[in-house]
Amino acid sequence: MEKIMSESNSVQRELIHLLHDVQNKFGYIPAQSISQISRELKVSESEIFGVLTFYKAFTLKPRGKHLITICMGTACHVRGAPMILDEFERKLGIEAGETTEDNLFTLETVNCVGACALGPIAIADGDYHGQMKTREVGEIIKKLKQEKGKSIE
Amino acid sequence: MKITIDGKKIEVEGKRTVLEVAREKGIYIPSLCDHPRLAPFGGCRLCIVEIKEKGGFPPSCSTFVENGMEIKTKTPRLQKLRREILELILSEHPNACLICSEKEKCDEYKSTIRKVGEVTGCVLCSNNGRCELQDVVETLKIDKVRFPSVYRNLEVKKGDPFFDRDYNLCILCGRCVRVCQELRGAAAVSFVYRGSQAVVGTVLDLPLIESGCQFCGACLDICPTGSLAERGIRYEDLPDERVKTICPLCSMGCELKIDLKKKKILSSKPSDEGAVNQGQACVKGRFLIKDLIQSPRRIIKPLFRMNKELEETSWEEALDFVAQRLRKFKGKEIALVASPQVSCEEYFLLHKFASEELKTENVDSSYRFSPLAVIDEMAQENGLELDLNFELKDISRAKALFLIGEDIPKSHPIIWLEVLKAVQRGAKLMVASPAELSLNRYSSLWLKIKPGTEFYFLSFLSKLFLQNEQEANHPRIEGFDSFKSSLGEFDLSQVFEMTGITREGLEEAFGLLSEAEDAAFLFGMGLTQYPWGTRNVAALWNLALQAQAQLFPLGLENNLRGVFEIGQNSSGQGLNFNQIFQAALSGDLKALYLAGPAPYLKKANLEFLVIQDSFVNENFKLADAVLPASTFAETDGTFINGEGRVQKFNKIIDPLGDAKPDWWIISQLARRMGNRGFPFKNPPEITKELIKTIPGFSNISCAELGKGQKVFIQEKAKKERSFIPVKYMDINYKKSKKYPFLLSLDYSLDYYRSLVLSQESKGMKAIRDSRWIKISSEDAEKLNLEEGESIVIESSSGKFKGFVKILESLPDGILRASFLLSEDADFSVNGLIPSGFQESHSLGMLPVKIKREK
Repeated sequence: MEKIMSESNSVQRELIHLLHDVQNKFGYIPAQSISQISRELKVSESEIFGVLTFYKAFTLKPRGKHLITICMGTACHVRGAPMILDEFERKLGIEAGETTEDNLFTLETVNCVGACALGPIAIADGDYHGQMKTREVGEIIKKLKQEKGKSIE
Repeated sequence: MKITIDGKKIEVEGKRTVLEVAREKGIYIPSLCDHPRLAPFGGCRLCIVEIKEKGGFPPSCSTFVENGMEIKTKTPRLQKLRREILELILSEHPNACLICSEKEKCDEYKSTIRKVGEVTGCVLCSNNGRCELQDVVETLKIDKVRFPSVYRNLEVKKGDPFFDRDYNLCILCGRCVRVCQELRGAAAVSFVYRGSQAVVGTVLDLPLIESGCQFCGACLDICPTGSLAERGIRYEDLPDERVKTICPLCSMGCELKIDLKKKKILSSKPSDEGAVNQGQACVKGRFLIKDLIQSPRRIIKPLFRMNKELEETSWEEALDFVAQRLRKFKGKEIALVASPQVSCEEYFLLHKFASEELKTENVDSSYRFSPLAVIDEMAQENGLELDLNFELKDISRAKALFLIGEDIPKSHPIIWLEVLKAVQRGAKLMVASPAELSLNRYSSLWLKIKPGTEFYFLSFLSKLFLQNEQEANHPRIEGFDSFKSSLGEFDLSQVFEMTGITREGLEEAFGLLSEAEDAAFLFGMGLTQYPWGTRNVAALWNLALQAQAQLFPLGLENNLRGVFEIGQNSSGQGLNFNQIFQAALSGDLKALYLAGPAPYLKKANLEFLVIQDSFVNENFKLADAVLPASTFAETDGTFINGEGRVQKFNKIIDPLGDAKPDWWIISQLARRMGNRGFPFKNPPEITKELIKTIPGFSNISCAELGKGQKVFIQEKAKKERSFIPVKYMDINYKKSKKYPFLLSLDYSLDYYRSLVLSQESKGMKAIRDSRWIKISSEDAEKLNLEEGESIVIESSSGKFKGFVKILESLPDGILRASFLLSEDADFSVNGLIPSGFQESHSLGMLPVKIKREK
């Protein structure tokens, strides 16, 4: 945290940038970091909270080791994204937005990743899986479990 | 510029919005998010207008007028659009009552239905009848909402002092968020979450009290709906009368609007027309006025001690008793203690009574502690003349500000607003304080200074000025040479260790001050409360001359300036505030007339003690007679605020019980003692005598005062300012093994006469309890102390009970506590001070130890 702070420029417009750095480093925004950022950038804590709850890129809860993101944009939606999501939810035993108990997987939805031609799309730890089919869901999960796992950093 | 609005030709000057101009000309455009004191926002879209040759429907609140604009505000098309927009707003606001065809009759038959937990319609809402949303619905004549109604079912937040927050009623206009950020600088609330989830909230949804809220109530007063509801009036009906008065709870004298119902106070709000506060107040003025005036601790009957116990009596008997007994004491045997919280008229009479009737020069008040008294003493020692009058806007115009010795968002919220304005205009703010302040977010430089070493820091800065600057400017100012040579003793290499300030900090401070034009130096009790307070002020005075800055002493009590002016008429030969109590303890004094807050006099050796106060206090145990005085709300008078502004206030309610105004009590007593100089039937008669007798009042006309015009106290012609040679001294605080901590006392203004506000109000207690003992987080950890734990502090001369409050940024080894004169004996820090009060105005630092309470 101190390293991130020392590298920042301590100006208010750097807030989002700094939040990104914290999110990347820890995988989430720890509650204590808000007061540190507030002091450093001279922005009130409530304002920081307003910004970080606005953007979906930031979370206040720790994420699992692996992040699976399902695109729910219009194109993906009509091509069966809800079914893909259902399958992930069923296989992982969690709902979208949640993290498995063993802290391995976090499942999230987004509204379009800009690759509509490939829909429906699932992104697992940054790897794009286009034209997903429900039966491929199990394979992705298995593969992630076998991998030692790229840490989120 | 010439424009037309609805066919009316209007001349406009400057950069104004269409809505501003329309409002000024009495043309109504509905709007919910705009507010005259806030920057344009353009959120609610109700204020849309049509402008010829401009496409679409621009919102008038954020469209600036241009020459030749032809604006229409009420076309059928606009009204239709506005109704649709309002329907959308209402779809997320309980609206059944708003559009009900029977709403007029409903109001008559309602009884106590507001006690339900959930507000689902106007009759259940405490804002009913004073709601801007209701007004807009009324003007736009909405009779149905065609969108599905959504009740967000958010939990009503009831965990904070003074008001509840029900965001189910919120229309997200953002006024509260903006007022908190733009005007008050707290930014305790913000919009949080997004889209349909968006709501006004705090960091991590914590209670307001943990998110930097000062409970000034600005959000409450600016909210157009009932989302923010003052708990004190939640179940009350609408007021039947609204009157104005001047707040007596700090030295600014804000104008307040008081709502009355059947001659009882419902609530107090800042007045928009107030010359000082312009629609703003603070927690005390906004929420505590009612509590203090209608406090159960009020005394409402005269008391006297014929036998062992204090007994209730009539005014006749009490006055005769006091008059007869007082006759026995004259001159040096007797003293009178007044309060700087009474009106000028009353203070004047107390003075007159002491000198004419008691024939004593021993008259003083807690004025003696104030920065004003200290700077006056310093000026007298050095033959200087002070230039005390100022206007608040002088502060907001400054290009650089230096604040030392006060936490102004808490102690002087109205001055803080001006400082904030200056910072928002680009001024640099430099702060010197031992612990971090909430306003540091706005400062360019925070110097974490060891308390008590301000003198060195200021003198070193002066020395830097001398070394760096070309001297061409200064020799013309008198006293320069002796000042320069007196600084010779200061060795720059020592400053860092002594004061705790870093080399970079000192250099930055010098850079900031040397570049600044129009600097303002604000100083408070934190600088002046030491035994060497006058030297501290002298050091600041010199620095101000070098930096060409204006000095602003931040006094606490409301009528300090009045006390100062009236005091100019006395010889100053008598005992001062502390000496009076010392004399009472030693037995040199035989009788004491207490008309102001005083420490507990348990060990005093007095033959006769009279107390004239509004509230029960501990000294009653020793009193021979108690005369119940009314509060400011129950009489007329004038206060002079910190600027030197003379403000008249009027009686708003009848005195409680048998309480009488101070001027009446004193006049009656004097008459009974045979003095004909007190024929006053009402305060204006005293004002007239005040104008005749006191030089500072000589230019004041009663008529102007009555009309609420701008009246300032008259100042003497100014003399050239001169430097003051500094005297080097060693300040050595001795911590010992036995007393390993230093206790720094903060003089607190959370009182009115002898009522301690945090004892009276639960809310105030939650915000800042006078019994908190602040300790650094490291020290707390070492001693294994937890927040809120009850502890005892011991000095060589006494004990004091309090509660742990952990303050992360406090230096280690330092404790801080509030100093209040009339705190209960157990909780009074008075006992800690060896031999009572030693120096004339010093609280200083005390070596103490901490014990756990068993």
